Amino acid sequence: MKKTVLLLAALALGGAALAQPKVFQGPDPDATPKMGGDFRVNSISDPKTFNPFVAKETSSTNVIDLFLPSLTGYNPYTIEPDGMLAESFEVKNNGLTIVFRLRKDAKWSDGTPITADDVIFSAQVHADEEVNSNSRSSFFIDGSPVIWTKIDDYTVQADFPKPFAPALLQGWSIVPKHIFEPAYKEGRVTELWDVGTDPSEIVSGGPFMLEQFVPGERIVLKRNPNYWGVDPEGRAVPYLDRYIFTVVPDLNASLAKFLAGETDIYTASDADQVAQIIERIDSGRLDAEIFPNADVNFGTNFIFFNWNNEDPWKAQLFRNKKFRQAMAHLMDKESMIELALGGLGQPQWSPISIPAKQFFTDDVPKFEFNPERAAELLAEIGFRTKNEDGWLVDASGRVLEFTLFTNQGNNVREKIAQIFAEDARAIGVKVNFTPIDFNELVRKILNTRDFDAILVGLTDGIEPAFSRNVWELDGALHMWNYGPEFESFEILIDKLMKQGATTLDQEKRREIYVQFQKVVAENLPLIYTVAGAYNPARLKRLGGVFGEEDLNSFVGQFPYIETVFIDQ
Amino acid sequence: MAAYLVRRLLQLIPTFFGATFLAFLVIQLAPGDFVTRLELDPSYEREQIAQLRAQFGLDQPFTVQYAKWLSGLMKGYLGVSLSYQTDVWTVLKPRILNSMVLVVLSVILIYAVSIPVGIYSALRQYSLGDRVLTFLAFFGLAVPNFFFALLMLYFALWLQDVSGSQILPIGGMRSQMIGGVDFFEAPKWRQWLDILWHAIPPVIVAATAGMAGLVRVMRGQMLETLSQDYVRTARAKGLSERVVIYKHTLRNAIIPLVAQIGFLLPDLIGGAGLVEVVMAWPGLTPMLLEALFSIDQYVIMGLIAISSILLMLGNLLSDLLLAWVDPRIRYS
Repeated sequence: MKKTVLLLAALALGGAALAQPKVFQGPDPDATPKMGGDFRVNSISDPKTFNPFVAKETSSTNVIDLFLPSLTGYNPYTIEPDGMLAESFEVKNNGLTIVFRLRKDAKWSDGTPITADDVIFSAQVHADEEVNSNSRSSFFIDGSPVIWTKIDDYTVQADFPKPFAPALLQGWSIVPKHIFEPAYKEGRVTELWDVGTDPSEIVSGGPFMLEQFVPGERIVLKRNPNYWGVDPEGRAVPYLDRYIFTVVPDLNASLAKFLAGETDIYTASDADQVAQIIERIDSGRLDAEIFPNADVNFGTNFIFFNWNNEDPWKAQLFRNKKFRQAMAHLMDKESMIELALGGLGQPQWSPISIPAKQFFTDDVPKFEFNPERAAELLAEIGFRTKNEDGWLVDASGRVLEFTLFTNQGNNVREKIAQIFAEDARAIGVKVNFTPIDFNELVRKILNTRDFDAILVGLTDGIEPAFSRNVWELDGALHMWNYGPEFESFEILIDKLMKQGATTLDQEKRREIYVQFQKVVAENLPLIYTVAGAYNPARLKRLGGVFGEEDLNSFVGQFPYIETVFIDQ
Repeated sequence: MAAYLVRRLLQLIPTFFGATFLAFLVIQLAPGDFVTRLELDPSYEREQIAQLRAQFGLDQPFTVQYAKWLSGLMKGYLGVSLSYQTDVWTVLKPRILNSMVLVVLSVILIYAVSIPVGIYSALRQYSLGDRVLTFLAFFGLAVPNFFFALLMLYFALWLQDVSGSQILPIGGMRSQMIGGVDFFEAPKWRQWLDILWHAIPPVIVAATAGMAGLVRVMRGQMLETLSQDYVRTARAKGLSERVVIYKHTLRNAIIPLVAQIGFLLPDLIGGAGLVEVVMAWPGLTPMLLEALFSIDQYVIMGLIAISSILLMLGNLLSDLLLAWVDPRIRYS
């Protein structure tokens, strides 16, 4: 690892005066890559568009990211900001200004140079309210816009209204201005590059370019010969000739494709799939490897209560910290992992996803499975006796009862909820578990607020500042309590989140988020349950991939697609 | 006859409006809309969500949305797919063609197998062969298509293991390469052969359920016709069994089956069902499921509109066919 960094630094210094292609280092510096070959993956559905301003979900962005560049990205080895199209960047003015220097040799696949104009134009379109791009929120901080200015053809300056820590990590796509500008002026920018567009008209500035799209079947991308990346030996990357997505809507069918050796990488979704892959490898019918439980996923599952409940008795109960701690003591996470996740996964105690290593801490208050302690806590808040049906009641005889919703069809959540409900019933808490339609669930959370408790999850990322919407007091997803009365710990969380987003020093940021995790774990506005396992598998013919110890659910199985190769 | 035809065609208009209005209403009654899914994504701001609703016209009253859709339809425009941000027809057309391949092939297979099997079963009622076929028919009806398709996939995988080469494809509709060249650059006949090869497993799956039903219909029709007076008369006249069965009985027994052909029209557009999802066949069902899941309302409406038109035309066609083959029916 150290060696790699030194090597990169040496290369960067050596040729600083010249145009600098980006150097992509594979995980094994001694590997001898082979050129050519196809990399094949499954996709659960078609891309919906090739236009980055329209794209709203991963089946589109997974493809777009292969052919459109961004200024910066994560360094897959250090998970720190790294220049991509930007050869370097300089943070000035206490973090209020960032100057990006672009690579001078970078070209679009049609031969046009990629310049500051493309960057400024793309930023302008992404920020445009009329266009409503998915990346739009990256161009505003608390409602004030980020100002993008061109210094010269290869230098761009971004001025932020206030310091914004993740400013360097927003991988928004840069588009060729010469293609998009005429349409933008006519107000038709969202109509460009839809799925009906001839692939040869789609200009690439990334490692691959679109070659073919057969709706419902596959997307074929081929190597972009004009790409601005090289490997440490100075050879042009990517090594691969093609990157092929096959559209397979059914999970079983996509497993079958991997078992037949028709897909290069696969992520087993549960213990049953893991077992099938192991069985086939062991019987010698598949030349592959699998790493069960190599890491856990970012997705979280948690229970929260409605503090704005129209029943004041319930609202007051749910606001009681001891009540929530009692509920946390009723979460049998071992059984949840065993029964809901097939033995693969980890318990989760706090809001930052376990794979987000630079912020995650395990040193938080844990209310482990302990029904007796739960009963004690409930007794402390007035539930001392049981009625003739065996349910806990308070002094006025009111039964401790609430309804728990989760979205129907999510087997993992349904099982987690059942396990919780049964353990709660065992000590006299009446939990009425009801799975409902996902959209109905969303409506209850955001609009009607007619619920007691909900088990749901959020797709979390590595950057805690991107979940401000959940934690800040006026956040759209501050879903346990929409005010107007807030507890003091919520005000503290709000403050921590605002600090975390505007502090640039990495160590200080970690301290802030460690404190944030402790506050949440202690006060439990969201009671976390278990996180599912990341079980990557791949064919052995693949080179340029991570060894077992480096596999992680954030980066995946390889650091860069540019340095993946086919070994056979 | 002409008057009848005109009357029937005119009746289709209110039926069509009623059907599509009802469909639109049902979609609106379902909780949430296309944007709802995004609301639980922490990276979306409230204003962005509201902006999207306005952009897609989802914030307008539902009657306005329906009226807009309808006026587009009058001009042959099915609206914009919310997920694809492009004309619904562009999205649907390739899927319809792909589904047709499966549906046409399985219909041919269904008729080619069920008619002779039904006749055999009727002629040798309660024989061992009849019982075995009856059992198989009920089995075919009872096994859910998606499960059968899954079995097929694993069967193809197993075949590949034992033989060492790929005998049946593992899902999909086209190979990427045929004989070393890209599929779309290969000669047309090789392209068609490749598609046919890929169609074998899904067609078998899609045909079994339909076959089972049709065998029972054919058998019942034959049995009923065989007990008719004119068959007895024919036999009494000393006609050969061959003539009695194939000239007198079969021609009458098959009438309802002929009439059913009209109903195939909507099936052609409806797709082959879950088998398409399991076998990664790029037909209409996977697309419809995705559209339903994301509440891409104009894709759903487009499909409903096309299939209700075809259903009505198919119905009409069936009635006309029946009138044509069955001399007892008169429309005057």
